[in-house]
This record gives sequence, structure tokens and C-alpha cells, in this order.
Amino acid sequence: MNCAEIKRDLSLFLYGELSLEEEQLVQDHLEACPGCRAELEALKRVHRTLAGRELEPPAGLLVRCRQDLERRVELAAPARMGWRERLRHPFAGGWQWAFRPVGAVALVALGFFGARWSAPSPVPIAQNGGGDVISRVRYLQPDPSGRVQIVVEETRQRMLAGNMEDEPIRRLLLAAARDAADPGLRGDTVDILRTRPASADVRRALLATFEHDPNAGVRLKALEGLKAFAAEPEVRSTLVRVLLVDDNPGVRIQAIDLLTQKREDALVGVLQELVQRESNNYVRLRCQRALQEMNASVGTF
Amino acid sequence: MDLSSTAAVDEAVWIRAAQGGDQAAFEKLVRAYDRSVLRMAMNLLRSEEDAYDVYQEAFLRVYRNLHAFRFDCNFHTWLYRIVTNLCVDQLRKRRIRREEPPVIETAEGPRDRLEGVAEGRAQGDPQRALMSRQLGQRIEQVLEGLTPRERMVFELRHYQGMRLRAIGEVLGASEEAAKTCLFRATQKMRAALGDFL
Repeated sequence: MNCAEIKRDLSLFLYGELSLEEEQLVQDHLEACPGCRAELEALKRVHRTLAGRELEPPAGLLVRCRQDLERRVELAAPARMGWRERLRHPFAGGWQWAFRPVGAVALVALGFFGARWSAPSPVPIAQNGGGDVISRVRYLQPDPSGRVQIVVEETRQRMLAGNMEDEPIRRLLLAAARDAADPGLRGDTVDILRTRPASADVRRALLATFEHDPNAGVRLKALEGLKAFAAEPEVRSTLVRVLLVDDNPGVRIQAIDLLTQKREDALVGVLQELVQRESNNYVRLRCQRALQEMNASVGTF
Repeated sequence: MDLSSTAAVDEAVWIRAAQGGDQAAFEKLVRAYDRSVLRMAMNLLRSEEDAYDVYQEAFLRVYRNLHAFRFDCNFHTWLYRIVTNLCVDQLRKRRIRREEPPVIETAEGPRDRLEGVAEGRAQGDPQRALMSRQLGQRIEQVLEGLTPRERMVFELRHYQGMRLRAIGEVLGASEEAAKTCLFRATQKMRAALGDFL
């Protein structure tokens, strides 16, 4: 390959988008060509220059987007639905509001439709004036007299404030990292937890999040909190397990980087196994390099 | 434990439930992706209001068309195709209008478009702050000079970390076409920023 061809591949090389064979060709050429090495350094400087450019949307914007989307979805729903679907449809807000002023009377009327449309998923029907209790109908059963029995689930909302040293706050944060449905909320929780990674319960929560959270961004945040403890056996064994099963190449690369900070014989077998099964060229290359740096063979033979 | 397949099963369950009119499931789908959608739109369009518009329109389209989603591609690809189409349209309109104001409207009031761009730790050193500001302006200029497709590929690869194959799927293009776009965008950056490096 000549310099013009190599220069075309350098940007792809930096992004890890070349095949293993192409990477090797570029590496070989770079070793012999100062001009292309200088070009690569210039491209690296471009990358560094662009690194601080990313904008993070303000939290208020996300909240406004979500609230307005819910309203717009409510407006959009009736246009494409029949009345029966509108009754069932959670975003067709009209019927929810109908309950509020007339309460029991409306529910009695609905008893005639009763079990036919008692949706399996909960539907919010009321929120009290203080805004701290949300009621959801879980089950309803009409009887021939026109009365109806309704099972209502109520969720009470409370505001708590404090810091990580407060036991209730700490307990809730540890639970939120594990149970919250919203990955954004889990990520925010991990951000707070990782400021206290020295605590055993926080460390356990970070390890569990790193290994089991379904969202790669949240897993990476948990890993950030564990970096200072990468030499500890419990952290290392979790890193190995994640390295072998995680579907996200970014997570696998971070795991390799942390594991190879401490070179130990047991790691060689893990990396050799990964080289054999790894589908991502870039991750495979990182593994190979790590093995070479450890003076270990790439294959298991 | 295969985490990816578990997550994919969860998502498929949410999609089917949302197709049946389940509010909680639709909300889960939105919340699983809406931060990254908003961040991507914000970075591509460099405007809170335009990012807000893209967010609203993208998820409304998802809502209106989810009943027709047949799992022939993954939901992430389908959603990002909608989002990137909206962003490309917006960028094309801007190229026609060429009317980028020097300030952007934010919830806190007007803000300099270049504020926060490449300023990193330059406070306290006027000369460095000036250089940093000039660099920020140059970056904005070169980004504006990219074609919408180059801009999209660059953003998705450089800042969103997507692989070029996935970017090709989202944009309805081949991986090779995405590679070419990334190469051109990088070369333009390199040429424009050369004297700052």
C-alpha cells in the first residue's frame, strides 16, 4: 500500500473500523513511514481537539420534552381510535378526567362494560390535590344490580432529601440502582454511588450494576466507580465474567484495559479464550496486543 | 447469562404491549432511548429548541407508526432512522437558509452559540481563552460546511460511538458509503483545524 492509500485508511484506523488484516497493513506501513506517522499524530490531535465539544442537554429540557410528549400523544390518540379503543387506551386522557368530578357515579356506569375492558395494565385514574397519591384501577367487577367493585392501587409519592451518610437515602439509592425502570434514573443513581466506592455495600451495588444492568451506559458508569479497585479479586473476577459475556464492545474494551493494569498468569487464558470467540475486530486486536505485551501466545494451541 | 438477549426480549415485550395500547410499555420504550435521542439532536443541531422539536416529532412518529412495526429490523435502528431523517431535514433547511444566528435560544434566555465550545479550562488566561474561542468558531464553521450526511455519520461515529455498519443501516446506506462520509468529514476537519494543531 502506498502513502495515499494509507492516509485514506488512517481515520478508519483511529476509529477501529478496519479489519484485522487492514490494521496490520497500516501498522506495518507506519513503522516504516515517518510522513504517515506524522499524519496519524495530526489526526489524533484533531480527535483530542474535538473531545470537549459535546453538549449535554439540560435536565430541564428532558423533563419538558417528556411532559409535552405525553400531552401530544394524548391529543394524537383520539384521531385514529374508535370509542372502544379510546376507553381502553391509556393516552386517550378524556376518560381519565371524566372520573375525577363524578367519581363513583361514573364508575357505576362503567360497571355495565365492566370486566370486558378491565385492562391488565394499570391505568392512572386520579391524583389528589396535593399531587402525592396516584390511584390506579387494577380490577373491577360489575354485579347485576348495576353496582361495581373496584380494586384500586394507590402509590404515595414523597420527597426525601439528604446525603449518602443518611441511612434512608443510602438504602433508597442502593435500591434505585438495582430496581429503577428508567435507565436514566439508574445512571444518575450510579453517578452518586460511585462517589463512595470505598463502602462495601456501595461496591457490591456497583459490581451488580456493572454485571447485570441491561443498559450499557449505566454499566460503564458503574465501571468508572470501580476503577480504583481494579486490583481487588472480587472486582477482577467480575471484570472477567463481564468481559466474556457482555454484548457491548465498549464495555469489553474497558474491562480489558482494567484487567491488564495488573498482569497475572490467570488472565492469559481469559484473553486467549476471548481472542477465539470475539466477533469485534477492534476488541480482538486489543486482546492480541495485551497478550503480546504479556509475552503470551495469542492462540491456545 | 446472555444480557443482550434478555434486554432484547424485554424490549420486544414492551413493543408488543405498546402496540396493544399499553401506556406503561410505550413510556418504557421512550425512556429507554429518549436521553440519547435528545443528546444526539442537541449535538447535531446545536439548538435546544430544534432538539426539542426533533424529540417531539420523532416519538410522535413512533407512536403513530408503532402498530406497523414488524420487527424486521431492531427498534433502535428504526427509531434512529426516524431521528436522523428529521435531523438531516433540519440541516438541509439550514443550508438553504444559511441563517444561523450567533445566539441560540435556551430556557434560560439567549446564549452565545459558541459558548462552552472548546473553552475547556481556558478561564483565567485571556490569551488562551481567545485561542479557544477562535478554535470553537473554526470547529463550528467546519461542521456547518459538512454535508448533512457527512455531519450525521461523523456525529454518530465520533460522539455516539456507533459502528459504521450500524450507521449505514440507520441511514439506509452501505458500510462503504458510511466509511467514505467519515473519511471526508475527517479530512475537512483536519484541513480546517490544521493551523490550530
